[in-house]
Amino acid sequence: MPFALLASTFATVFLAELGDKTQLAIVTISGTSTRPGAVFAGSSAALVLASLLGAAAGGSLSAVIPTNALQLAASVGFLVIGARLIQRSSSTEAEESSAD
Amino acid sequence: MSSEPDPSANRAGSWGAAFLTTFTTVFLAELGDKTQLAALLLSAQSGRPVVVFVGASLALISSSLVGVLLGRWLAKVMPPQQLERLAGILMVALGLWLGRQAVLGLVPSPSDLPLS
Repeated sequence: MPFALLASTFATVFLAELGDKTQLAIVTISGTSTRPGAVFAGSSAALVLASLLGAAAGGSLSAVIPTNALQLAASVGFLVIGARLIQRSSSTEAEESSAD
Repeated sequence: MSSEPDPSANRAGSWGAAFLTTFTTVFLAELGDKTQLAALLLSAQSGRPVVVFVGASLALISSSLVGVLLGRWLAKVMPPQQLERLAGILMVALGLWLGRQAVLGLVPSPSDLPLS
């Protein structure tokens, strides 16, 4: 078992992902959801599948898939989720102040 | 120490919905980022690509576990409504940043355009 290669790959990718936008998204989704198991399963599956696709396509992933268009779609999704969270927190605040 | 889940948080929905939301968001956001990892895998192709892939996958799973645990910890120490607002602001900021990157990739830079 080439343990050194396994360990060095693990360390490289793990450090690269720390504080990455993807991890920040996972933190916010997990913090505001009641289903941490589902969030963990979903994010793990997405990350592994995305890297598998990247590996399969080699360096030419952007030639096979319109990655920029997909990222634009992702950014719209982020905006929608964010706006919904802000709106939800304000409506909770309004409910609480009217209940007092 | 109230670690009891807020009953109003149950509107978050079912397991499947949470899974699907997370999967789609993370998958789309991460796709364009995978060139680096692909290069890593390619560079190891002379040796053991499977080992590199397993190592990379384990690292990605661990990093998402760290993210989930950090989120749960924040949910315990912060009032839910304050956390929701902060998370919302962070999501909007990430969305704007990601959108800017994507648009910069889609549209050629102004210096490439024939202006005169």
